[in-house]
Amino acid sequence: MDAIKIGPRGTRALWFCVITAALIVLPLIVTKPFAIDIFIRVLLFAFIGVAWNLMGGYAKQLSLGHAAYFGLGAYTSTILLIRFGISPWIGILAGGVVAMLASLPIGALCFRLRGPYFAIATIATAQVLMLLFLKFRDFAWGAEGTTLPNLGNSPLMMQFGAKAAYYYIALAMLALGLAITYRIERSWMGYYLVAVGEDEDAAEAIGVNAPRIKRNVYLISAFLTALAGTFYVQYIYFIDPNTAFSFNVSVEAALVSIVGGIGTLWGPVVGTALLEPTSALLQSSLGSGHGGVQLTVYAVILIAVILWRPTGLVGLFTDAYARIFRTAPTRVSEASLDA
Amino acid sequence: MPELLVVRNLSKRFGGLRAVQDLSFSVGEGETVALIGPNGAGKTTSFNLITGYHRADAGSIRAFGRELVGMRPYDACALGLARTFQVGRPFGKMTVLANVMTGAFLRDKSPRGARTRAREAIEFVGLSAKEQTLASDLTTIDERRLEMARALATEPRLLLLDEVMAGLNPTEINQAVALVGQLSKRGLTIVIVEHVMRAIMAVASRIVVLDHGQKIAEGNPQDIVANKDVIRAYLGTGYAQEAPAGV
Repeated sequence: MDAIKIGPRGTRALWFCVITAALIVLPLIVTKPFAIDIFIRVLLFAFIGVAWNLMGGYAKQLSLGHAAYFGLGAYTSTILLIRFGISPWIGILAGGVVAMLASLPIGALCFRLRGPYFAIATIATAQVLMLLFLKFRDFAWGAEGTTLPNLGNSPLMMQFGAKAAYYYIALAMLALGLAITYRIERSWMGYYLVAVGEDEDAAEAIGVNAPRIKRNVYLISAFLTALAGTFYVQYIYFIDPNTAFSFNVSVEAALVSIVGGIGTLWGPVVGTALLEPTSALLQSSLGSGHGGVQLTVYAVILIAVILWRPTGLVGLFTDAYARIFRTAPTRVSEASLDA
Repeated sequence: MPELLVVRNLSKRFGGLRAVQDLSFSVGEGETVALIGPNGAGKTTSFNLITGYHRADAGSIRAFGRELVGMRPYDACALGLARTFQVGRPFGKMTVLANVMTGAFLRDKSPRGARTRAREAIEFVGLSAKEQTLASDLTTIDERRLEMARALATEPRLLLLDEVMAGLNPTEINQAVALVGQLSKRGLTIVIVEHVMRAIMAVASRIVVLDHGQKIAEGNPQDIVANKDVIRAYLGTGYAQEAPAGV
């Protein structure tokens, strides 16, 4: 997919149109629910990866606690829906705002730490939130969780009869995430984020307000992650603390980006396109009896990438494209953010 | 000559170590002042105190009509104070141009404007040919040039150079000396920490000598190389005989 980025402008635009068109007609051609379900998961986790990548990839603030925002988004919209009858379309934005507000104190605490200590602190925040929601029996259903009321096909309440509708929502969210990343990457913010990721002290010496830029990107990242949370519970019609604040979400967000290529626009998309179908197909073909096999394959992929492509798979695609079309890979932005 | 930087009774301890003790000096506008002294004398610590990387235990640092003690590095930079690091710290994943643009964004948030400013700074330090080179691929002298260009792109009035000549060969030192001279001609006020005496003698209008965190001498270069305390603490007796011929 990263091939879009290289070659002359015209070729790039052409590729972009072809891929966009293909993604739009995909659910019309492939109608098997199982296949569409995989597509939706790919788009959703790619989106979460994109949200994570803004902070974890560009600014190298390795968060392993993005489930906190995923869960807050999920719970906010669900509480608004069930307790107050408010449409998840409003709830999804409310969830985003709640996540942003939560990211301020969490960021203020966690950003005091650097490197692995930051990662550990973020894990703790997601776990603490999960424990809190396990205790909130009165308004958040405690450990049992709850199913969402099935209203049939009611688009205004973000419920649809056709699975394809969810596919298009997830696709739109991913497009939004990529558009935001694209804009940030090419603006001063992108340069500041990479500078902070490379060397925070050196960045501060040339006027980069590192605490502020980290806070701001954390706000954006938390907001986007919360959107994914709302979408996910609307999709599976169920919520409980273990699902909403699942450590898996945090790990997946980081993993798809690392495998695809952190700090690159398409990295999380490439990573998810590889990992998510692999895991889904293994799970369905092996059944629940061989739970370990799926994780083993996952681990093998991860080890292979770290050994042979530590900068992520995105580079592999650009290299291959360059070899096939015999065009020297040109540096897209001065930041060479994909280096 | 109006004073741009005034350091008064500055002190900093790290545990039992008195890194800087009761240090006072001032730098006039347009002046180039060198800070010299043996390793561990407190030169880099002084820089870190002035630029906000360490917080002083006591004393005051005034520049641009503001108190700098307690100010964060990026705020000091926004006021017009830029520095380079003793060990080059380029953003390795970025190209030279992107590195310098990051500095230029302080004064101009548009990529187009920042690029123009960055190119000026890159041209000034003579790095234009390597604009698209990744910073991690630069040689030592070019890394120093990049550090300077990045600092210059923030449009400082006061520039603190921390051992920009360390590790350079004699030809490169001459180039670096010329560069510092040009910066000074542009009207920049410079404080330079340096071990290469030949370079100091060429660029500094005044020298402050530190030893064990204290100022042991201050004066123009000719007086400093003849100063007995300085020779004993830092230059070594050999220098006293050589210096007059060399200068």
